[in-house]
Amino acid sequence: MIGVLVTVILFPLVGWSIGRRSIGEAFLFGAGLIGSILFLAGVLHLPLVAALVVVGVWGVGCGVWKFTRASRAARSQQPSNSATGQHSDPATQQPSNQLPRPTPHLPLPTILMLIPLVALTFVAAITPLSDFDGRAFWVLKAKGIADERSIDGPFFRGATLDPRNHYPLLIPLDGAVIFGIAHDLDDRQVRWLYLGFLVALALLVRERIGRLVSPSAGAWCAALLVWIPQFAVQPEGGVLSAYSDIAIAAFAAGAFFEMVAWSRGLAVSGRADTVQPRDPATSQPRDLAVIRFGLWLAFLVLTKSEGLPFALVFLAIGAFVFRKRIAVPAIMAGVAAGALLFWRMRIPAGDEEDIVRMLPTIPEKLQRLGVALVAFPRHMLLMPHWGVFWIAVVIAALLAVRVDRLTSKIAISVIVSMLAVYGAVYVATAWVVSDLIAVTADRLLMHVIAPSLFLLALSVSGAERQGTNPG
Amino acid sequence: MSTRSLLPRIAGALLFLSLAATTLPRLVLIVDTARTLLPLPYEARRERQMGPWYPSVETLRREQPRHEPVALVVAPRDFDSAVFANYYLYPIRTRLFVGRDNYRNAAPDPTRPKTIVAVTADRVERTAYDVLRDRDLRAGRRVVLAPELSEPLTDFVLPIAASLDGPAPETFVIEATLVNTSAQPALVQSVFFPKGTVRKLTIAPGATVSYYDLVHQLFDVMDMGWMRIDSTAPLRAAFYFANRGRGDATRLTNATEGGTRISPSQLHRDSKLFILNPYTIPTVAIVDDEEIPLAAGGLLIRPITSIPSLGGDVYAFVTTRELNGHTDFFWPAK
Repeated sequence: MIGVLVTVILFPLVGWSIGRRSIGEAFLFGAGLIGSILFLAGVLHLPLVAALVVVGVWGVGCGVWKFTRASRAARSQQPSNSATGQHSDPATQQPSNQLPRPTPHLPLPTILMLIPLVALTFVAAITPLSDFDGRAFWVLKAKGIADERSIDGPFFRGATLDPRNHYPLLIPLDGAVIFGIAHDLDDRQVRWLYLGFLVALALLVRERIGRLVSPSAGAWCAALLVWIPQFAVQPEGGVLSAYSDIAIAAFAAGAFFEMVAWSRGLAVSGRADTVQPRDPATSQPRDLAVIRFGLWLAFLVLTKSEGLPFALVFLAIGAFVFRKRIAVPAIMAGVAAGALLFWRMRIPAGDEEDIVRMLPTIPEKLQRLGVALVAFPRHMLLMPHWGVFWIAVVIAALLAVRVDRLTSKIAISVIVSMLAVYGAVYVATAWVVSDLIAVTADRLLMHVIAPSLFLLALSVSGAERQGTNPG
Repeated sequence: MSTRSLLPRIAGALLFLSLAATTLPRLVLIVDTARTLLPLPYEARRERQMGPWYPSVETLRREQPRHEPVALVVAPRDFDSAVFANYYLYPIRTRLFVGRDNYRNAAPDPTRPKTIVAVTADRVERTAYDVLRDRDLRAGRRVVLAPELSEPLTDFVLPIAASLDGPAPETFVIEATLVNTSAQPALVQSVFFPKGTVRKLTIAPGATVSYYDLVHQLFDVMDMGWMRIDSTAPLRAAFYFANRGRGDATRLTNATEGGTRISPSQLHRDSKLFILNPYTIPTVAIVDDEEIPLAAGGLLIRPITSIPSLGGDVYAFVTTRELNGHTDFFWPAK
């Protein structure tokens, strides 16, 4: 019970503390902020409990205050707006000083989205955790942190078995918060956290694609997302497991939508240095978007080892979008990466691969290139995991370029770059490459779900416009 | 609505159906499973998921003091079970040893947990090292499959009786075969010296009794000493000092009286002098003119580099290990 309360109250409130946003995005920001701040506190040897109390009091206080203030403002502005039609954001047609307006109620996709989520909530409440990585690595770390209240205590120094000692700790720290508040190390307490990430990702997709493409596209993309077998029912990596892949997909989605929203403003203004007062996607000051982008990247770095190359890809593509403002997110991601590396230097390595050291071995392993190149296409066509989703995405990518060249190119660049990075890892790995591909490829594909859904939304909206436009 | 505007909707519907076709049946299945688990307490749900393995972990977690670390000893095929045992046992600290050999090789490490937990896919149980060792030895093959039996004897001394491990793969045992060739049951008394532990057994007429690890099987210890065997009926016997880890064995002599005249021989490494008092009264052994008192049934072991001059009413022999690990024995002349 405490686990569900912390998940649905603490994380969103902390997320709201740094600005008003939809509940899905607030949850992701809250989870990311709590995990990141506790990680930095742990690296600096500040007491984690004290750091949590400060973050909790500040976050909940600010969150409640901002939420109630924005709600009051929304109620008071509604009549005056309807009377005057003033203070509306031109891109979103919404008042600029209120909570992001929910997407219009679309019964069918909303019901379709809710069906699996309700079912999965029931299942998560009843069935104990039974996956591999969650129990072997992620939740075990959360237990270790909650028990020792430290991120470099005996648990991380070989006093007990921790096979992947260097894995980033953002999600385990969130789990440790729940364990700590609940005073219970039973994994039933953290089942909600992982469900929360899928729900939040679905709501983020619904809201952001709803604003960037169309409300209908957003609602349908969210419905599609929660019906993808790999997310919904796959025992390893799906929402009923305690893997960190849905979390990283959600943080990547946040970063991607931030970048696309900014690029939309860029496309409207035509100049990189022309700062519009409001972000078209969130109706918040655009400079905050740069900071939010940086936060998403920091969350990525601190969530999984793949997060660091993911953040680098976002920074590389983001440099073309944000231009000189990319320095801010780069610094934020750099701080997170520096903290992660510093922490890793202080604890013994587990049995994880040091991919950076293996990269120079790629030339002598080029015979694996063929296996690596076909890895993703083969898994994309696995019907039990993905249906025809990736076939649709490939077709959508071709169509989306004709609808919105800039944003579709961003989406395609993110997907292709990340798959290329993962492909390079497959070439470099010391594992039996086919074994590694078999257990990871589907989970890595999850990471690029947001740009893929965005391409689908773009292509469908373009096709619909063409269909309804007699010209 | 035009045909062109219908196309994306049809494509979207097909995409959704392709996802739902897989997800829906599995969703129904896991919801149904959850429904059947609902009436059970949470721990019972885990037991339903994981079988009897889970209660064995829970029992151990309840009984094991939290601050006492445990060594999880697991066969490579059951590695995953150990990983999960580690998860459910937390906050009890664990160290994983894949295979018993890894545990014994860590003997010099002062942080090696003393409590051993054997993990298999079926259960998790606190156990002792020699129990695990015995399981492995029982499951394996004896080194000597066709033992060479002695002449019938009723009373004799087995000068060395050991059940010991060195660093992997060194596993020293006594492989023994006792055959009662007489027409009456043989009541056999075995005494393990120097502690003097006694075990009795009966061998039926014409029956054969064999041991893959005589000392551990008879006396339930891992130790080294010598053994006196008395039987009411003549026994034909074969004893081998076997290194199971190397598949190597040396036939042992059955002594019936004292002896100290060991021929000069080339020694290799780990050479040791063994002197035992096979009598029931104290005696004195002489080693290079040094007089060493030896209690009844006593045993003296000394590292040596050459064979010394020996005397006294004792039984002495020398062991040395060749470079290939084979143990040579130099017995006294009769």
